[in-house]
Amino acid sequence: MSGLEEITDKLVASTVEIFSSMIMMDVAVGNDSEATINPYLKCITGMVGLAGKRKGIVAVHFPNEVAMAITGNFLGMDVSEINEDVQDAVGEVANMLAGDIKTILSDKGKDIELSLPSTISGDQYVFQAKSDTERITVPFIVSNGVFRVELELEK
Amino acid sequence: MCIMENIAVMEIIAGYVKDATFEVFESMVMMEIASGEPNYNGSKKIDSIISSMIGLAGDLKGMVVIHCPEEVAKKITSGMLGMEVDEVDADVKDALGEIANMVAGGLKVSLEGEGCNVELALPSTVIGRSIRMSSGVGSKRIMVPFNIPSGEFGVEMNYVMSSV
Repeated sequence: MSGLEEITDKLVASTVEIFSSMIMMDVAVGNDSEATINPYLKCITGMVGLAGKRKGIVAVHFPNEVAMAITGNFLGMDVSEINEDVQDAVGEVANMLAGDIKTILSDKGKDIELSLPSTISGDQYVFQAKSDTERITVPFIVSNGVFRVELELEK
Repeated sequence: MCIMENIAVMEIIAGYVKDATFEVFESMVMMEIASGEPNYNGSKKIDSIISSMIGLAGDLKGMVVIHCPEEVAKKITSGMLGMEVDEVDADVKDALGEIANMVAGGLKVSLEGEGCNVELALPSTVIGRSIRMSSGVGSKRIMVPFNIPSGEFGVEMNYVMSSV
């Protein structure tokens, strides 16, 4: 079992890889102080559950502008509202990340299964896992904003 | 072999959602609840301020979500903790997360009885007004409304069958 620091490093590498190869977008790790913003204002969250040997949640929190830019890159067209395309793209980013995390947490990803990707969006909301989890939150900077990747694991 | 592939089976799953919810409210919340008609086309909305959810993975991938208006969330937490709760705080968040966890646990047992093995993820909660939630394209959505004296809450189940 990897320690939290090692998991964080791999999570960062995996996020950078997904954004550069699948979304064609450069991302850089932000400051830790930006990691804890909650409630989320005008944001969309993509999330996928981890079940089996490790139980957890993978969540990606995007400001609306960042989510629209990502969707635009995915689809090769301009996106100007939070519509189904954006929900699908954000869910898919969470799903890809969760697929990588599965492999990080368990040899070849066996014994861990993913739930359905879901999204949450709104003008203002608080997202929280249960209190007694191990939590990793990493902020990433893109050209038009900051988004956060969150991993919650059962202790 | 998991047989939960037919659309008509949504009614069976809705029945399991009802059973699991009744069981949790009877044994853990000590509260009588009444169920309404399950909705299968996404048209039933609950005016919620707090939603707790938990992912399901395995033969079926999905998510169980409990949607509560503020008063209902506080009453349910009061019932569970045996003390008055007058704001949507960490206790409410944890109580509703635990209810999602227990309802999903009951569903897991029923689904396993159908040969459909599922594992649970961790519960989480979202608090806010006018929140939109969506699950992947092509997922089936069941919403079962329930009533207590202080209002209505909903238990939603979104799922897809894992590819065979």
